[in-house]
Amino acid sequence: MKRPASLAGRLLAVAALSITVALLVTGIVIGLLLHHVLQRTIDERLDTQIVFLASMLRADTAGRLSLIGNADGPPFDIPGRGWYWQVRGPLNVLKARALRDKTLDVLDLPLPRLPLPLPGPLPPAGPPPRPADGPGPDGDHLYFRIKSVLVDGIPVEIVATAPRAAVRDPLVNALMLLGLCLGILELVLLFAILLQVRLGLRPLARLRTAIADVRAGRQERLPADQPTEVQPLTKELNALLAQNAATLERARGHVANLAHGLKTPLATLALALSRGEAEPRELAPLVDVMERRIRHHLGRARAAALAGPVRARTVIAPRLEALGAVLSKVHAERAITLTVEVPAEAAVACEQQDFDEIAGNLLENAFSWARTTVSVQTLADNRRLTVVIDDDGPGLQPTEVERVLRPGQRMDEEAPGFGFGLSITRELVSLYGGALDFNRAPLGGLRVLLTLPSADGV
Amino acid sequence: MKILLIEDDRPLSQQIARALRDQNFAVDIAMDGEDARHMGETEAYDVAILDLGLPKVPGAAVLRAWRQAGRHLPVLVLTARDGWSDKVDGFKAGADDYLTKPFRIEELIMRLRALVRRSTGHAAPRIVCGALAFDAQTGAFELDGLPIRLTAFEWRVLECLILHKNVVVERLALADKVYEGDAGTDSNSLEVIVGRLRRKVGRDAIETVRGRGYRLVCGTGE
Repeated sequence: MKRPASLAGRLLAVAALSITVALLVTGIVIGLLLHHVLQRTIDERLDTQIVFLASMLRADTAGRLSLIGNADGPPFDIPGRGWYWQVRGPLNVLKARALRDKTLDVLDLPLPRLPLPLPGPLPPAGPPPRPADGPGPDGDHLYFRIKSVLVDGIPVEIVATAPRAAVRDPLVNALMLLGLCLGILELVLLFAILLQVRLGLRPLARLRTAIADVRAGRQERLPADQPTEVQPLTKELNALLAQNAATLERARGHVANLAHGLKTPLATLALALSRGEAEPRELAPLVDVMERRIRHHLGRARAAALAGPVRARTVIAPRLEALGAVLSKVHAERAITLTVEVPAEAAVACEQQDFDEIAGNLLENAFSWARTTVSVQTLADNRRLTVVIDDDGPGLQPTEVERVLRPGQRMDEEAPGFGFGLSITRELVSLYGGALDFNRAPLGGLRVLLTLPSADGV
Repeated sequence: MKILLIEDDRPLSQQIARALRDQNFAVDIAMDGEDARHMGETEAYDVAILDLGLPKVPGAAVLRAWRQAGRHLPVLVLTARDGWSDKVDGFKAGADDYLTKPFRIEELIMRLRALVRRSTGHAAPRIVCGALAFDAQTGAFELDGLPIRLTAFEWRVLECLILHKNVVVERLALADKVYEGDAGTDSNSLEVIVGRLRRKVGRDAIETVRGRGYRLVCGTGE
């Protein structure tokens, strides 16, 4: 069965199902009760006739039975309708005039199927007559009440019958009416539930239009006057909106800074060009400055987008191999040997792009300065992973370390990758809660210790 | 040396092409990925400059298509994306070098020369052939230590011959490296160019191999 897709559909389906079941049970119970009541009415009418007949029976000395008075009162007075009586003694049979020349055959009649007996007082005189079902003299379906009594010491069997239809027809009529009423009730209830669902879900529709308003820029945030159930949702949405707005604000700030940073060299460039005496040699550094500013702000924007705890995981060995392959190709001329000794499963809690940026800048720096060898290894404790990048280049004096970490500083204009790259790297590292340290490598050059939180740290 | 330049920004591609032709290189330009893929697969280039952000077919896909088709020409990727992850992706697609925009044209030329030199199996930038010497870093020829002046066509022929010194270079292959895609070949036929070259570098230096092509002869030991 396909589950309804809409909330209203689900609520309606559940309601319709439970209402239908409840009404069906109600209908069945009422039907059974009605059956009982009708049956009992018939029983009482027939039993009264039996008692009436018993009271009028007399037996003569030979044992022949006779009735004092007329027992053919209504409804036993019309032939062919199924209301009959009959008294059978050892010598003769008395019967209703409505039976005419026929007799009722009551031997071996099956017991009728009766509804469960209702609690109630037993009839006062002796055990009640036994019920039975059977064919009538005209082949019609009759209901029998049979009682054996002693009349003046003679055993007598008294039978009174009613047509089965006397129970069935009123029951069917009543049940049809009942079904109609219950059906109408179900429709009314379903309509009420439909209304309820519509009204109950209206806050969701209002929320949708409110969100649409926010999206269209007609509203800053969602209204706070919401039903209790919806309030946490709007709170979360408003928090999300606020966070997005803050991110946007930061991004705008970066763009503004970038524009500002570019406009000065652009102005110089424009001025130099308008003089018409611009020497390419003079202009190239301006282009350089602009490029470095763009790189710097792109890096910062990326770093600023990281807010809150990061649940990323980057396995570093393949990334270091890939970066090493790039750098080996770029620096193919100088045939620098790169050794990467990193456990295959070592992983840091850092997005892959950011790890690429950090490690790429550090490795490029090592490649630019190394004479023959760059080596990468790791040190791990249980929470942090330290990537150690060594080269056999000239290394850095402690005072120089301070300088290269300041944005825009380059140790050497000809060796790329130093300067802005390194300050962005440090910024990214600190955003991830890591650290960047510099030392002297055993190879003689610079040792960079890049410490990042381990992805498998406890 | 013939270069396939793939760059969809017309002013930039014109600038680059002009600077490259100033260095005597032959340059064919493709403006979109589809043309680039086709040209790279059907024609012989010494090196390609590939912009990654191309219309129709992205640059990385062009590069992968070439490599799958068995084209091993060196490729220098030129792009504005300067993240390390982008670089890694570029090299994985089969790039040999990477230059981010903006760049200095001198650096581009230097890297192109280095790529071509390495791809022809020369480790050192200076290639010597008898009295003739070629500086693959600057593109300058010397004869007996003195610089020689060459026209663009002459330079292209001699560069191709010296990069494949002592080896017969097929006539058609040589013509491919000398003429740009849309240039006519009549006024500067190979024979005429080679004839002029012989006058400059010595009659015996360039040998005609009948029915096949030309060979730069370096004498003993080189």
